Order: sequence, then C-alpha cells, then structure tokens
Amino acid sequence: MLKIQEIRELIKLIDQSSIDEFKYEHEGSVVSLKKNEIQTVQAAPVQQQVETRPVEVASAPAPAEQSKETATAAPAQKEEVQEKETDESLHKIKSPMVGTFYAKPSPDADNYVKKGDSVDEESIVCIIEAMKLFNEIEAEVKGEIVEILVEDGQLVEYDQPLFLVK
Amino acid sequence: MVATSMKQKMLEMLNGQEGQFVSGQKISEELGCSRTAIWKHISELRKEGYEVEAVQKKGYRITSTPNHITANEVKLGLNTKHLGQNIVYQESVTSTQEIAHRLAYDDVPEGTIVTAEEQTAGKGRLGRNWHSPKTNGIWVSLILRPKIPPQQAPQLTLLAAVGVVKAIQKETGVLAEIKWPNDVLVNGKKVVGILTELQAESDQIKSVIIGMGINVNTSAAEFPDDIKEKATSLRIEAGKELNRASLLRRILEETETLYEEYLQNGFQVVKLLWESYAVSLGKHIKARTLTGVKEGIARGITNDGVLLLEDDTGEIHQIYSADIEIC
Repeated sequence: MLKIQEIRELIKLIDQSSIDEFKYEHEGSVVSLKKNEIQTVQAAPVQQQVETRPVEVASAPAPAEQSKETATAAPAQKEEVQEKETDESLHKIKSPMVGTFYAKPSPDADNYVKKGDSVDEESIVCIIEAMKLFNEIEAEVKGEIVEILVEDGQLVEYDQPLFLVK
Repeated sequence: MVATSMKQKMLEMLNGQEGQFVSGQKISEELGCSRTAIWKHISELRKEGYEVEAVQKKGYRITSTPNHITANEVKLGLNTKHLGQNIVYQESVTSTQEIAHRLAYDDVPEGTIVTAEEQTAGKGRLGRNWHSPKTNGIWVSLILRPKIPPQQAPQLTLLAAVGVVKAIQKETGVLAEIKWPNDVLVNGKKVVGILTELQAESDQIKSVIIGMGINVNTSAAEFPDDIKEKATSLRIEAGKELNRASLLRRILEETETLYEEYLQNGFQVVKLLWESYAVSLGKHIKARTLTGVKEGIARGITNDGVLLLEDDTGEIHQIYSADIEIC
C-alpha cells in the first residue's frame, strides 16, 4: 500500500510530466490523479484512499486536533488581556492576522514606538509576520501610545489588541 | 510610449525569424515607419546589448540577445494575462521591494513587476541583507491585489515557492526543493529567497508584494565567504549559463497559473504541490525564533501554511515564523 510520502511523490511526478491522468489500483485501494485544463491535481480520490487505511494515517489527524486545542486556548488569553484593560476611552490597535509580533524592523534596531510616543494614522507601530509575509501595522489613529500589550517575538492571535492609544 | 512599442514590435519581428534576415522594406511596411526610424531603433537595440547584423539587400537579423532582464527582453514571448504585463525596470536599485511598495500605493495594475540588474540593499528577513550582484540574478518584485482576507495572505508565500520550483524545473531541469515556508534549495543550498510584504487597510488587502531573489548565473567564486556554504546558483547546479529573461518568463507563467487556481478554488491544490516539493517534512528540524529554539519532527503544514512541529514529548507546536535548520 502507498504511504503518504509515496502519494506526494506521485503527485510531484505527475505534475512535472505530460501525463494528464493516472490511476493506481492495489488490493482494493485506488489512487487516481487527474490534471484539469489549467494543470492542477485533483486530490479527492486520494483522500478516499486515505480513509480506508486508518493505521497509517493515525498520526496525521492527531496534529490537526492538537492544533485546534492550542487555537481554542489562545482566545482565553486574549480575553484576560481585554479584561485587564477595561478603559473604554482607549483605542486598541489590533492584529489583523495571526503571526509573530515584532516591535522593531531588525533585531538591532530601535523599536518603532515606545510608551509615551505620539502617533498619527500612518505611523508604523510594529510588524506582524507569518510564513515570511511581513505586515507593517499602521496606527490608523492619532494619539499617544499608553500601553504596549505584547512582547517582541510573541505570537499574537487575529484581532488581539497590541497597543492602547489615548 | 509609441517609440517603445515600435521597438518592441520590431524586436518581435526579428526574433520571430529565428536567425533569418528580415528586410528593411518588410519592417517598414508592417510597422508603417520610415527606414530612418528603423535604423534609429536598431541602434537602440544595439545599445541594450543586442547584436544586430545588417546586410545590404538582405536586411537585419539578431545574432545575439543580451542576457538582461529589461522590460523588452522579459516581455518577448511572455504568455500571461496580467503578471509581468507591466514591467518597471531599472538598472540599479536599492531594493525592488522598496520601489514596488511605492508603486503599489500609487495604484499600479495588478501583475505589475519591478526588476533590476542589481540591488544595492536587497532585503532579507529581519533586516538581513540579500547579496544581489549585478546581472547575475533575478531580483524581482510582483505586485498582486487578491480579494482575500489579510489573514490568508501568507498562503501566497508558499504559492510563490511552488511557482518558482516548477519554473526552475521546466527551464533548467534542476530539481529544487522547498524548505518551509518558501526557501528554495538545490542539494541543500539556498538558491531562491522569497520575502513578501502586505499592504492592508483594516480588513482589506491593498496589495501583496512578493519579492524574489534568485541566484542564477553567480559563479562559486562570487559568493561571499559567509554564505558560500549555504548558497548556490542555478548555473552551478545546472552546469551552464542560463538566460535570465527566459527563466523569469517561466516564473511569471507558472506563478500566474497557480494564482488563478488559488483564487478560484482555494489553497488545497497549492498545498498539495507544496508538500510534494517540501524537503523538511518528516525530518528532524530546529526552528529558531526570536524567543528560542524548538526542536522536533516536522509533521506537516496546516491549511494556513503553518508548520507543525512535534517535540520529544509528542506535543505539537505551531510555527508561524522561524529559521528552519534541517538536522
């Protein structure tokens, strides 16, 4: 029977070849790969096959479930942060995506902003990075930074407050 | 503007003849311009590095094209709808990302690319420098404007890596691999670096700027000592000098195909392809982040492109940003 790694290898080979369609049958399990017009691989039949072999894929769903757990644990932390700062008059600069919070452009540079700095709409306050995609976050509001809620290098959640602005 | 397109058309005519002569008469008839104008354009092409042979009663033919990545060179035979159809080329720049950033703010159309022969301050991750010597590589930034939520944008960095690996394979036969999230390696050494920047306003993407640094014709001796052990070029791996414009065209074509598929059907196909080219999966890795080092087995990626690392105790960590070292 085919292992996940072998299926990946097959996908790669088919993708690189001029073959449009490929089918493999062995002891009742079937792998069929088909490129459509814009040269993509249809993977649905692979999934079907994966389902018939619970032993080999047992390790695969586990990380997914675990990752869900960590994902659900995170909002709880977020709420704590929000509870701590209940002053409604303060504006919160929030993270538009999940990723790593960087307070400065490079490790030996100064922070973009520190407590007490005044910012305007277009001031860059930090960078959020995920998968080497860098997102320079602008304050989008005019005021003074009164609190930095996260540490340099910390993983932040979607919508997590990063700064409080007065 | 008119003069540029005239030169471009002439270049297409001459190139289409594959080394055969094209008469001045024919050029002048097809393009509706005078002999003097033709001569002027031929002179310009020569200045750009084309070798054009002119023989009386026969006409003109191109005997050698420059290994440059000017807009003319790249556009010739480019088979895309948007990507690379608008090219901003400069001989020397600080970094193509910097220029692309400004252009993206100025509402240039999606698919606009910025290329240069040389970057004096090529950007790497976390303020690191990217060695970008003159005429040896492809230093390019692609401007995309996808209508997707900003939190999905990181998927595009994996997409770009797949596009580049496919293009390299088709153009050179060299089999490259991807190290999470999007370093492209050949025989374990880095050949392409990709860095992406997002311009977003609240919940809307203004642009995604994908910067690629590709070591194409760099010779082994040209790499500085500190990166010699970790970097390679396609020329070293393929054993021959490569045409950069032709490789760039392939990259634009492959990337656009994947991008269209992605916009239409989502990340699934790109993810499968990424996994099939991934070198780190199933291996023991070290993930270095600002806050420390995590070690374990790379188990896979999530639907967002996040790396799943299983440590000795069996705990799964989600890695969003790190330098990965394969042990």
